Amino acid sequence: MAPEDHTSALPATLLIEDEQERGYGHVLPLIDGNKTYSQVTEEVFSTTERMPPLKWWLALSVSLSLLLLGAWAVTQTVTRGIGTWGLNRTVGWAFDITNFVFWVGIGHAGTLISAILFLFRQRWRTSINRAAEAMTIFAVMCAGTFPIIHMGRPWLAFWATPYPNTRGPLWVNFKSPLLWDVFAISTYFIISLTFWYLGMVPDLATMRDRAKTKVRKAIFSIFSLGWNGSNRTWSRYETVYMLLAGLSTPLVISVHTIVSMDFATSVIPGWHATIFPPYFVAGAVFSGFAMVLTLMIIARKVMDLEEYITVRHLEAMTKVIIATGMIVGMAYGTEFFMAWYSGNNFERYVFINRALGPFKWAYWSMVSCNVIIPQLFWIRKVRTTPWMIFILSIFVNIGMWFERFVIIVTSLHRDYLPSSWAMYTPTFVEVAIFLGSFGLFFTCFLIFTRLLPMIAASEVKGVLKHEEH
Amino acid sequence: MHVWKSLGERRGLIKKTKAEFSDELPVGESVRQITRRDFFRFSGLGFAAGLAIGCKSKVVEKAMPYLNAQEGLTPGVAQWYATTCQGCSAGCGVLARSRDGRPVKLEGNPDHPLNRGGLCAIGQAQTRGLYDPSRLKQPRLQGQDCAWQAFDADLAKRFAEIKGKGGKLRILTGTLLSPTLKATIHGFLGGFKDGKLISYDALSCAAISAAYEQTHGLKVLPHYRLEEAEFILGIEADFLGTWINPAGFTRAYASRRGPDNSRPMSKHVQAEACMSLTGSNADERLRLAPSEVVPFLEALASALGSGKSGGDLRKELRTKANALAHELGEHRGSSLVLCGANDLYAQLLTARINHLLGNEGHTVDLSHPSLQKQGDDPALAGLIKEMGEGQIDAVIVVGANPSYDLPEEFSSAFAKVPIRMSLCLTADETAVTCTHLAPDHHWLETWSDAEPVVGTMSLVQPLTNPLFQTRAALESFLTWGGQSSSALEHLREHWRKEVFSRQKVVGDFGTFWDGVLQKGAVQLEGSPTPPAYREDLNASLRARNEAKPGTYELLLMAKVGMGDGRHAFNPWLQELPDPITKMTWDNYVSVSPATAKGLGLEQGDLAALRPQGLSELTLPVVVQPGQDDRTLAVALGYGRKDGGPKDWKTVGTNVYPWRSLATGFLAASLTGLQVRRVGGRAELAATQDHHSLEGRELVREMALAPYLRDPASARPHEQPGPSVYGEHPHGKHRWAMVIDLNKCTGCSGCVIGCQVENNIPIVGKEEVAKKREMHWLRIDRYYEGSEAEPKVFHQPMMCQQCDNAPCENVCPVLATVHSEEGLNQQVYNRCVGTRYCANNCPYKVRRFNWWEYPHNSEVERLALNPDVTVRSRGVMEKCSFCVQRLMTAKIQAKNEGRELKDGEAQPACMQSCPAQAIVFGDVQDPDSQISHAMRDPKRFLVLGELGIGPAVSYLTKIRNADSTEAKGGHHGA
Repeated sequence: MAPEDHTSALPATLLIEDEQERGYGHVLPLIDGNKTYSQVTEEVFSTTERMPPLKWWLALSVSLSLLLLGAWAVTQTVTRGIGTWGLNRTVGWAFDITNFVFWVGIGHAGTLISAILFLFRQRWRTSINRAAEAMTIFAVMCAGTFPIIHMGRPWLAFWATPYPNTRGPLWVNFKSPLLWDVFAISTYFIISLTFWYLGMVPDLATMRDRAKTKVRKAIFSIFSLGWNGSNRTWSRYETVYMLLAGLSTPLVISVHTIVSMDFATSVIPGWHATIFPPYFVAGAVFSGFAMVLTLMIIARKVMDLEEYITVRHLEAMTKVIIATGMIVGMAYGTEFFMAWYSGNNFERYVFINRALGPFKWAYWSMVSCNVIIPQLFWIRKVRTTPWMIFILSIFVNIGMWFERFVIIVTSLHRDYLPSSWAMYTPTFVEVAIFLGSFGLFFTCFLIFTRLLPMIAASEVKGVLKHEEH
Repeated sequence: MHVWKSLGERRGLIKKTKAEFSDELPVGESVRQITRRDFFRFSGLGFAAGLAIGCKSKVVEKAMPYLNAQEGLTPGVAQWYATTCQGCSAGCGVLARSRDGRPVKLEGNPDHPLNRGGLCAIGQAQTRGLYDPSRLKQPRLQGQDCAWQAFDADLAKRFAEIKGKGGKLRILTGTLLSPTLKATIHGFLGGFKDGKLISYDALSCAAISAAYEQTHGLKVLPHYRLEEAEFILGIEADFLGTWINPAGFTRAYASRRGPDNSRPMSKHVQAEACMSLTGSNADERLRLAPSEVVPFLEALASALGSGKSGGDLRKELRTKANALAHELGEHRGSSLVLCGANDLYAQLLTARINHLLGNEGHTVDLSHPSLQKQGDDPALAGLIKEMGEGQIDAVIVVGANPSYDLPEEFSSAFAKVPIRMSLCLTADETAVTCTHLAPDHHWLETWSDAEPVVGTMSLVQPLTNPLFQTRAALESFLTWGGQSSSALEHLREHWRKEVFSRQKVVGDFGTFWDGVLQKGAVQLEGSPTPPAYREDLNASLRARNEAKPGTYELLLMAKVGMGDGRHAFNPWLQELPDPITKMTWDNYVSVSPATAKGLGLEQGDLAALRPQGLSELTLPVVVQPGQDDRTLAVALGYGRKDGGPKDWKTVGTNVYPWRSLATGFLAASLTGLQVRRVGGRAELAATQDHHSLEGRELVREMALAPYLRDPASARPHEQPGPSVYGEHPHGKHRWAMVIDLNKCTGCSGCVIGCQVENNIPIVGKEEVAKKREMHWLRIDRYYEGSEAEPKVFHQPMMCQQCDNAPCENVCPVLATVHSEEGLNQQVYNRCVGTRYCANNCPYKVRRFNWWEYPHNSEVERLALNPDVTVRSRGVMEKCSFCVQRLMTAKIQAKNEGRELKDGEAQPACMQSCPAQAIVFGDVQDPDSQISHAMRDPKRFLVLGELGIGPAVSYLTKIRNADSTEAKGGHHGA
């Protein structure tokens, strides 16, 4: 069978009326350039079959360097101790958990795009969902390293899992939000990985069919799970995909809700707030979409995928950003209102200290990046100009990192007893681990773009305009 | 035959593991020859206490253990011996806990009349000095290590030469508390034609005894009875911190600081230039420059009806002096004026004021004078002059470091003496200039005695075999004097002759001796009634300290942990936060906020100080609220260079060279100080940076009058709301602690006690600066009110052992759990180090092991308490209420088949508190002390509103002052 045959039988569930017929007027097209199915196949898969260009190698060497730097810093931490970080008796978490929450948040956009937008029949997701899901997996990998290396004795990290042991009733503490994190993050990682992989099976079959070498064919034969493109295969695939989308959807909410409970269930003013779960979920989507934008704008340029990831996609994502950004902004306001309205002096002090204390630069960076700057997306010109979107998405990434930093550090450094108030300054090792996490992320992503189809070709084919081809 | 256990061993791949005490053990031959088992056998069997010092005597004396009278020693079970602390010249009674033949912990002896169970920070840190690897290990002759025989032979030759030509020999000592040693030295000196014993104190009080010599014809330092004083006026006298007898004074002072005692609460007014520990506890405090001390005393004396006022006093101080005189006059016979200035005229005035107030015989005890400061500054000045003129043939320094703590003219004069010998512990600044070094035993290795206050006699007994080839000073002088008896024999003989005869209670010397050895001290009759006061106020003695415009005054003070600097290489004491500034590992110049502003100085800036006619020194600035605006203050005791470990970085700056003997006395204040800002900043390592309570009700205070009207009004209104969690089930005991903020002075003895008991690591200056100190127990110090005249609060803060502990909830691996006795337990083995518990602790009392803290010296490691785990890197730790001590007490009660008695289980902080500010016990026992304390209306919880149910509570501080009355009620700070 020719590769086209596998994917030409488009899943009925993915076919919905053309948006122009539904009266949207002149929306931008989802896929530019009047692609044929074979063009799509050729353009998506050929990148995985030839030697990467120089710019890819350059990008990989930069990310690998960062990864090595991070590896050195982690080695320092593990061999010498957490003393290599800038933490102290008052501020017990800073860069470590900031990075953890940051990366978990990044991951959220992938699941949101692949699962929730799928369930809501948002067809514009098709070009970006594969890469966004990959981003989720790599981001969760980055996130997962931090709770482990932040431990004083990371070689005992497995104690945080409830495994049967010979030590009698030695068990984990189910009251601890950190334990909930272990479950939430591992579940999230497993489901995301499964979802990503299953969504890729039709494309893996195409790769199998296009494979020129025996080894390559053998590998992709295994991973395409005997896909034959029959209606029955498609039907089962769609059912599983739908089920997994349904399964992933609550995870978008639950993971960051549980991450937020690390703080919300504590007694520390600035952490102890019931608003945290929705606030964190919105923040996660906000930061995740910003990261998807950052990645996609680079990728479409570097990989010549501008016709697949079009301005139409970018614009849709900017709208999500402006919506979630305003939710986040409202949460900031609500926190201040509650601090005042509660009449709790400790709470009040924490928020005054956030805005006017020694870490005010971090607070105002956060507010500028997350609330003020994204307002530019109200302008259509900004929403449709990729380089402007790119710059704004970087701001949002920075702002959301600072949000976690502000929540963690400014709450801890001046809590109940003024005698224990202290400052926090990161060390080079901490910064290196942070950069290393970007190294890990981009290294994985770059390898992904060359090994696997970055665009879900089978789905994209479903949104091509048939009458034109 | 070679027996092998594995193939690897057979092939020689597996080497035998190193012996615990390897060859590198830097100790003398006597220790190196014995095995570890022998070490336990010899020293452990309690014979450590009985083994006579030195090699000549093999007599084994029996010493009865004090608390746990046991037939034999059970390995792993501690034994307690009573001895006398020699950490400073106060001579407090201590109980030393010995584990398997080595002393690991010192605690105040509750039966000692002086300190009654309390022990200061310096006292508790003494074991570190015993296990100090930089101690001298054998005698040294002209810089070369040698054996004692050769050393003594050389000395015999030299002493014979001096005797032959009728030369001059001087023995220069610190305060000699031991009457036996003093008598022995006098005996030794008797063999010389011109031999004299001269004592001095680095922190001198010589002017007081000089004043009493003039007023009473008796050269004595009175024993001040603070427990009898209803009104205390302290002038530049840090009697709770560093002056004469801090632990004893604290004990006596605190006994009158409760508002609910049968005797009325005392009122304490402190006049001083720099905020001292004592000033921070005063009901009222006024700022007084050192140059104003004499005019102020004159105004007081004049208001009390004697003499005319000097006139050069600020108007507000004159008004204050009149008011104080009025109040003092209302407490005739029960008031006390203490002056710390080492100025003869000031002390004559003080003696006169106390005489006018009728305090002699009541609060000023001349029948049992204090022997805790025996320094004679005029005699010292005479010695320096004689040495400088080259008249002296030999000087023997005993237990002092004059090259470091005396003015520079001492060193240059000392160099002119042909034979210079020091009986020291380490190669200190004096030792390095000496021709002969005869290293003394540490006091925990020696037999000796002490008479800190006339009539209060106590014994010093060894807790261990000497670690090195050192020799007790007593034995050295006996040897050089041609006697061959051991220190113990000689001591017993001296006591039989001199002490036994002074008492009539016990008829048999053996019983008497054993009793004193067990108890630690005996109270004897004092001296006869002293002669009456005679007026002798020579106005010519009045120093003219005209303040020059544009210059400042300088006060050279002592810090609580550092004292005179003799323990400067004790890292426990270096890392002890100063009770006022909370600084560690440094000295600095304290400047008042207004003056700092005027000079453009900020905390941590470097300032160059030049007192008139003296060298310039650069010190970091600490802005000190409550400091007098014209006075700057620097602590003595820093900048030690010799006598410590090789890699020791000099801590702080030595300002002793600024002192002079110009007035005849070692003056602690200077005038004509010029200050300028130099570029650059110094890193200061403080454990507390923020000093305001921020309007938070963490400490409560109330004035005395409204409290007495209605004690119930002290009770806090708000009660914590209900909890979603049920109560923890409690077993037989439920431990709780109440800390009385009226008694706690912030002296920080508990901080060191806790550190020693619980093997808490020292982290060093850089780490403290990063806020990574490890102390389980800290003392929070807050200021309230104006920067110029703040009120001070001290609040000991340790794990509050919450019932609904926020730390317990959040640990993912259950490494911190609740015990059925109400303890919040930290399980080091289980801890993975997420630090979540520390983040979620509202009191921030949890401490994380950021590094593997080194215990690298074999000798230093002997100081570790074997009952407490040494924590590894990456785990959390915190106060355990000394669970090992609770267990020991419970096991003992169980072994004896009885119930645990109230007060038997005591955490280290409570045991050693000189003020007895801590009450601890089982709240399930309704008659226990703690249950009574829990019902006190003054009791409040810190952050009780969080509903976390802390087991530690505090008692509202009552101030005996009118100024707080306006605030009324139970307003917090």
